[in-house]
Amino acid sequence: MTEPLFSQPPAQAGADSQGRPPHQPLPDPVAEERQAAADRRSQPWSRQVLSALLRRTGARIGLVWISLLVLVATFAPFIANSHPLYLVVDGQASSPLLTNLAGEDWIWLVGFLSGVVLLNLSGRFWLRLSSWLILLGLTTLLTHFFVSPPVLTIHEQYRELEASGGIERIVRAPIPYSAKDYLRDYGDTGIEAPLAADDRRHWLGTEENGADVAARMIHASRIALGIGFIATGIALLIGTLIGGLMGYFSGVVDIIGMRLVEIFEAIPTLFLLLTFVAFFGRSIYMMMIIIGITSWSGYARYVRAEFLKLREQDFVQAAVACGLPLWSILFRHMLPNGLAPLLVAASFGVASAILAEATLSFLGLGLVDDPSWGQMLNQAVQSSTFNWWLAVFPGGAIFLTVFAYNLIGEALRDAVDPHTRRAGGGRA
Amino acid sequence: MKLLEIEGLVTELASDGQWLRAVNQVSLAVNRGETFCLVGESGSGKSVTALSVMGLLPEERHRHPAGRIRLHDDVPGRPAGEVVDLLGADATTMEKVRGGRIGMIFQEPMTSLNPVLTIGEQLDEVLQLHQPDLTDEGREARILSALEEVRMPDPAKRIREFPHRLSGGQRQRVMIAMALICEPALLIADEPTTALDVTVQAEILELMRELQTRRGMGMLFITHDFGVVAQIADTVGVMRRGELVECGPVAEVLRQPRHDYTRSLIAALPERLPREARPMARRATTSPLIELRDLEVYFPVRQGFMRRVVDHFKAVDGVSLSVAAGEVLALVGESGCGKTTLGRALLRLIEPTAGSIRLEGQDITTLPPRAMRPLRRRMQVVFQDPGSSLNPRLPIVTTLIEPMRVHGIGRDDDERRARAAELLAKVEMPTDSLWRYPHEFSGGQRQRLAIARALVLEPRFILCDEITSALDVSVQAGILRLLRRLVDEEGLGMLFITHNMGVVEYLADRMAVMHAGRVVESGPTAKVLRAPQEDYTRSLLAAVPRLDGALAIA
Repeated sequence: MTEPLFSQPPAQAGADSQGRPPHQPLPDPVAEERQAAADRRSQPWSRQVLSALLRRTGARIGLVWISLLVLVATFAPFIANSHPLYLVVDGQASSPLLTNLAGEDWIWLVGFLSGVVLLNLSGRFWLRLSSWLILLGLTTLLTHFFVSPPVLTIHEQYRELEASGGIERIVRAPIPYSAKDYLRDYGDTGIEAPLAADDRRHWLGTEENGADVAARMIHASRIALGIGFIATGIALLIGTLIGGLMGYFSGVVDIIGMRLVEIFEAIPTLFLLLTFVAFFGRSIYMMMIIIGITSWSGYARYVRAEFLKLREQDFVQAAVACGLPLWSILFRHMLPNGLAPLLVAASFGVASAILAEATLSFLGLGLVDDPSWGQMLNQAVQSSTFNWWLAVFPGGAIFLTVFAYNLIGEALRDAVDPHTRRAGGGRA
Repeated sequence: MKLLEIEGLVTELASDGQWLRAVNQVSLAVNRGETFCLVGESGSGKSVTALSVMGLLPEERHRHPAGRIRLHDDVPGRPAGEVVDLLGADATTMEKVRGGRIGMIFQEPMTSLNPVLTIGEQLDEVLQLHQPDLTDEGREARILSALEEVRMPDPAKRIREFPHRLSGGQRQRVMIAMALICEPALLIADEPTTALDVTVQAEILELMRELQTRRGMGMLFITHDFGVVAQIADTVGVMRRGELVECGPVAEVLRQPRHDYTRSLIAALPERLPREARPMARRATTSPLIELRDLEVYFPVRQGFMRRVVDHFKAVDGVSLSVAAGEVLALVGESGCGKTTLGRALLRLIEPTAGSIRLEGQDITTLPPRAMRPLRRRMQVVFQDPGSSLNPRLPIVTTLIEPMRVHGIGRDDDERRARAAELLAKVEMPTDSLWRYPHEFSGGQRQRLAIARALVLEPRFILCDEITSALDVSVQAGILRLLRRLVDEEGLGMLFITHNMGVVEYLADRMAVMHAGRVVESGPTAKVLRAPQEDYTRSLLAAVPRLDGALAIA
């Protein structure tokens, strides 16, 4: 790096090593004053990584698909629902869709909207993240006590009402079928190819019980997203904590931690899941937790390796020499510097959690009535004929989602790695 | 007789989609039997010039819009007497030239050898490529004689050893043997001794000089150290920002530099820096700030299945030192002598094995970490590597404010921010550095920021661990002046760890020479430097390449 004699003009971002302008003027004190007054701030690392990420086509494709899924999952009841959005019967207007919203729907909606608002607010990332989580927890509590949609829902009633001519005005969702609307009113409904029936429009066909595949797939996107994020979140939390302690303290803590990691790595996740399902019944939350607590070991290894390396770095030693408290050294000085490989691993981890759930559902050990992409795949091969629409659409969705996460992971790896970001950077 | 001729060379490197001119209109000639030294600060384009000659710049990422590089030497496969244009030569010719006619030695001996091949295999590969008609026995004999020539101890045994078994100096000898084994006409050496200790450096330089005279090769020697230039060069070229600003016989350029830049570079050498009168009164009255008595730091050597402790490595072996307020004590020694370990143990970053550390009279040797924390305010540290001394994820303002908050300095963040801005002014950095991140600063600027971080807690004592060794001389000069001013004006005590005698001479009041974990000699700087009492100190001082000494002889 070139430096003019004895004077230290501020270096420009991205212009280090070879990138110096050939003739830098000596600093002019007046100009410097003005610059200080303007209070120019430079971009934090997270912003830089984000913009590097967004420059990559793979990441863009992946992010577009994931955001599409998030949108669909959030507004699932408004996209596919047997309950009409707006209904006027005997001069009385009502919205059966809104009154039938379940607690889960409210949580998704509140989570999504507050997430969008908080993302656009300024402030510390950790502060915003924790306030978002607190808000989610509060919503869960509130909906638990106050939101109680009718236990027995009769999806057919609106169609029957409409047929009897008692309806003055009706506005339906784009796909007028709920995920669990088995169309009993049509009699012998069963498995049907897309657009096979003349009187009903099923864009993606129906499954063996007669429910609309498109509606089920839309509602199933929640499970795919939820299991990916929550399971990986649990794994990240445990892995970072244990790995961080192992890396920072090393010695005995490290030896014990590594044995723990090895024990957990020896547990076959799928068989543990099968056992738990067999003993305790099927629950999506149990699956999330089991996938989470069996897959933290990889993250712990990453964090440990990073921390072992970082511990020797001068800025960490300087932080110790400044007498900073342990939590600050671990979480402010070390963790953000060791985060990069963790983020990459996490995006691949989300993909594998989705696959684990799909596998389980495919094996018929997933959720009973609730829709899931893997379970639909299962139905594709269960009946005597091969039902292509039950294989192609859910299979495609699984494929695209896993592919999107892998694309993001790949792009993230390139974005956080300075060697690929600025290939052939500088040589003095 | 001309061997290598570079005419109006322009090299441009691709960076973020634009072309940056790294070498601009450089013309020079290296004669047979002559050493041409290219000297300049980092980023001046001296390495890029050498790589252009070798054709080793990354494909597609460089271009030469103008210039010619001609080699006046017979290349195998080409008609005798033909002058080869290296920039226009095809790949096969370049393969013959590289290693065959031009040998190259790189800076870092630790990474320039392949760790999975033995020394013999690596030398053998070069021979197989360039002299395919030699028999197996013939090659082995050549390898042996090449290793003997670079004075490798016990060459027959070394052939079968892997690079990690050799010391840095020995590795550099292997590199030289590898570069010279095909008897090239030109040797390019890119800072070959920068990573080595002074005593080893002196040996390697002597060896290179000797081999060059014996073989009559031309040598293009790249360095940033004027002491080395004075010792080895016949002709010297000074580079700055890709341009050759001055070129001429070594005695002329070093004695009467014509260009302002050369003059300022030579003036920035620490031994040439003007020294101001220092207030001496303060020191006499104060008791020692830091006092070490028989400090020992042993690292256990563990072996076997149960990792039993079989031996101890004595990194610091009974050292007693003291530093008073307003005084700089320099701790000098070669790499591996335990000076850095001593520094870290003194700050209680490593646990000492035995002995005592007293901070302003208080024994802190065995204080638990919690009790240590408030005391850390009084002793601070600045580390060697500007690349890792600041947290890359935090803006400077956070790095500076956090320690103040922890130690309860300042009432609120606004006040602390104002204090941080004051400190930046003190270390001569612009105020808007507060809102920037470490990667936006150059090495010298980062070291200034690291000093600011150390000063934030108003310490009584600062440990500086080789803080200028990664910096260019002009930048180093600025930092040394700053440190001296801080010590004189604020009455800080400072322990300055270094291996650079010029820095010691400029900065230190007293010095201690360390060797193999022990202090072999200590005393006032002037006395130790002029009249060393111990043999080790004498050999260390003799090995330091000095501008003035070499010029007096020349």
